[in-house]
Amino acid sequence: MSYGGDYNQGGGGGGGGFYAGSQGGTQASPGGSESRRNRSSETLRPVTIKQILEARQEVGDGPFMIDSVELGLLTFVGRVQGVTEQATNITYVLDDGTGTLDVKQWIDADSPSDESAQNLNDKYVRVLGQLKSFSNKRHVGAHRIRAVEDYNEVQYHFLETVAVHLRLTRGPPEQFTGGVGGVKQQDTEMGGMGNTSSTSRLPPGLSDNARKMFLQIKDVTENEGIHVNVVKMKSGVPDHLATDAITELLDLGVIFTTMDEWHFAPMDLL
Amino acid sequence: MSSLNISPQTPRINAAYLEKWVNHTVRIVGKVTGVQGGMANIDSAGPVTLQLTRDCALIPNNGAEVIGKVMPDGTLKVLTSWDLGPDVDYSIAEAIVDVNHRYKQVFYDS
Repeated sequence: MSYGGDYNQGGGGGGGGFYAGSQGGTQASPGGSESRRNRSSETLRPVTIKQILEARQEVGDGPFMIDSVELGLLTFVGRVQGVTEQATNITYVLDDGTGTLDVKQWIDADSPSDESAQNLNDKYVRVLGQLKSFSNKRHVGAHRIRAVEDYNEVQYHFLETVAVHLRLTRGPPEQFTGGVGGVKQQDTEMGGMGNTSSTSRLPPGLSDNARKMFLQIKDVTENEGIHVNVVKMKSGVPDHLATDAITELLDLGVIFTTMDEWHFAPMDLL
Repeated sequence: MSSLNISPQTPRINAAYLEKWVNHTVRIVGKVTGVQGGMANIDSAGPVTLQLTRDCALIPNNGAEVIGKVMPDGTLKVLTSWDLGPDVDYSIAEAIVDVNHRYKQVFYDS
C-alpha cells in the first residue's frame, strides 16, 4: 500500500492524483508541494455544470477549486439550449441536467468554421475549456466544442466525473494502491488474505483513506475511544479528506462515536 | 422541440424512483416500447407511461431522453424529448441513475 499513500501524504493535496493515479509514470515524478500547482493546472478534469457553478476561489482572484483541488482545463457535456452569434464570439447555453452555463468560443477569423454554430442547437456537445468569471457571472471559455455522436459518451462522462470526484474526496480505491496485488487483492479480500488481513472485517470497495484511518481506530480499547485528530495524525490522512473517510466508516457501521462526535471506537464484530 | 421552462436541475431517475419524485421535473432515459395516440411507454429499468405533448418524436425501439413532470398517478407528463438512436447502453443508464442519487452532491441540490 505504498505508492498512492505516500503520494497523498507528501503532496499534501491528496487529490491532483487521480489523473496521474492510474498511470504510474506521472506519479513517480518528484511530488514536492511547489509542483502541485503546475501539475494540477495541467490536468483535464471531467465535471458537471453543478460542480462548475459551485467551484470556489479561496482568494479573491485566485484559481477556482472543486473538491479542494485547483481546476485547470475542464471537460463536460451538455445539451445546447441556445446559440448567440456575435462578431467576435459565439455563446452557447448548455444544460446537462445539473445546471445551465454559458460557454463562449472566440471566432478565429483566419480559419472560419465550415459548419454553422446553429447546427449544434438542441444537441449534446462536449466542451473542453477553462472556467472564467467576468463581473461575477461565470462562463467557460471553450478551446473546443463538438457534437457528441454517441449518447453513451454522455453517460460515460457522468461516470468518469463521479469516479474523479470520489478519488479526490476519498482517495484512490484499494485495488489501485497495492504495489503487486492489483485486482487479485480485491478478489481475496473476503478471505482476508494478503496484506489486508488486519482489515479483513472491512468490505471491498472501501477507500484507501478510510482503511488507513480504520487501522488506527480498530485496536482502541478505551471506553472513550480515540480522538479524530489522533487518528488523522497517525494515519496521515489529510484534513480535507478525513471527514469523508470517517463518514464512510460510520455508514458501514464498523466504527461508532463515543462521548462526543470527535471520539470514535471500533464496533466489535467478532 | 424547444426548451420551455425547464427547471435548472432535472435529476436523472428511472421507473423505480417515480413514486419518490411526484410533482418534480426529472429526466428519464429509456427504450421506447410503444407509442399510441397521446401516450407512449418506455422501459427505464421498468415501465414508464408518458403523456405526450404534440411535438414528441419518439421512435419505437430507439432510446429516448425525456424531461417531464412526475404526476401523482406515476405517469410522466413530457415537457421535452429527444431521440437517442438505437445504440443506447441501458445498463449504463441504470448506473447513471444510481450514482445520481448516491453521490447527489455532483448532480443536484436536495
